[in-house]
This record gives sequence, structure tokens and C-alpha cells, in this order.
Amino acid sequence: MADFEPRVVAFLCNWCAYAGADLAGVSRLQYPANLRTVRVMCSGRVDPAFIIDAFAQGSDGVLVGG
Amino acid sequence: MVRRLLDLAGIGGERLHLQWVSSAEAQRFVDIAKNAVESVRELGPLDRSGLQMEIEACEMTLNGETLRWLVGKEVRITSKGDVYGRLWAVEKYESVLNNMLEREYQKNLIYLAVKEGRSSVRDISTRTGLGLKRVSYLLADLEKTKRVEFKGMKDRKPMFAAL
Repeated sequence: MADFEPRVVAFLCNWCAYAGADLAGVSRLQYPANLRTVRVMCSGRVDPAFIIDAFAQGSDGVLVGG
Repeated sequence: MVRRLLDLAGIGGERLHLQWVSSAEAQRFVDIAKNAVESVRELGPLDRSGLQMEIEACEMTLNGETLRWLVGKEVRITSKGDVYGRLWAVEKYESVLNNMLEREYQKNLIYLAVKEGRSSVRDISTRTGLGLKRVSYLLADLEKTKRVEFKGMKDRKPMFAAL
């Protein structure tokens, strides 16, 4: 499927992956625009129910980055 | 655990990615992001139309007390022992957790099917895709905890309603 653009919800920890993503932006590294980022203060904050909810509300995939 | 539940619900655990990235590893983040998006792209769009009930059952299961207690007590049970002082091996704890997850999920699925108006065991079974024996076994359980009610017989078939 060539024209399918997946929607991936990314739960990123403020201190780790979010900062990593920020740095990627600053250093102008290209990464896919399909990620919908949700910043959380810690990846431990991500409740399993959030993930199910993300799927229920229309995402095709979920990435949890700590 | 969530991945197993997604598999049970037919969403597919491989749609969930869990990765550790440090704040200094921009390149690693980019790789992971690309990887995750590509793998989901290969899986194709998630068809949600037939999954409403399954997703709701997942939410009920994760928000239910049974699993929350069990998960909350994991460290205690596997390192200090349960209330009887028995120490559990991690594998044993996990197998219990998996059984409980499956059971709670199926119970919630049945509950939702009954709520939808499927009242006989055969109806519930066709709606949920669970075996007849399993459905009637779990219905008895739901009845005990007062979540469904036995409504009497119709054409020699027991009928149920959600409470």
C-alpha cells in the first residue's frame, strides 16, 4: 500500500525521548511526520488505558519512548 | 501485558512499540521513529469498524480492579511473598496474570454482548467468537458478581440480561 500514511501516536518522556526528538529537530535530522507526539513527564505516566484509547480514537500504531 | 491484550482483541500487539531513548541520542530517536512508522505502514490501516466492542472490553479490563491489584502487587508477590508468605516465581506470576487478563477480557466482552441484547448463550457465542462452554462458564461467574441476571427460560434456552 503505497499511499497509506499511518497515524502513530508517540508517548514521549519529557526527559528522555522528547528531549531526543527535540535534539533531532535542532540537528535537522529528518524523521517521519506521521508521529503525533504526546509529551508526558515520565514514561511511567503512560497508563495502558491511554494506549487502548489511542487505538480507539483512530491511531494505527502507538510508540512509547522513555 | 497490553500487547497480549491487543492480540486478544484482534488489534495486534505488533502495533505497539516500546523503546528507550536517552536525551542525547537524536539519531537513535530518528531510527526508532522511522522503524515504528514503517512497521505500522506495512501492517496497513487499522480497521476499527468491527472492533468497537473489543476495544471497550479492553478498556474495561484495564480499568478493572482485578488486574490493577494483581499488577500492583507484582513486586511484593515475587520478592517478599503473598499474604500466606508464599514466594511466587516470576513465571508463575506471569502465567496467572495472563490467565486473569484473558478471563477478565472475555468476561467484559460477554458482558457487553449481553448489554447489546444478545441474551442466549449461543447468541453471545456467535457475537464474541468464544466457545459455548467458555461463555456459559463465564456467565455463571458474571452472575455471581451481579453483573448479569438470569431471566428465565425461553424455548428451553436460558436467557440473560445485563444489570
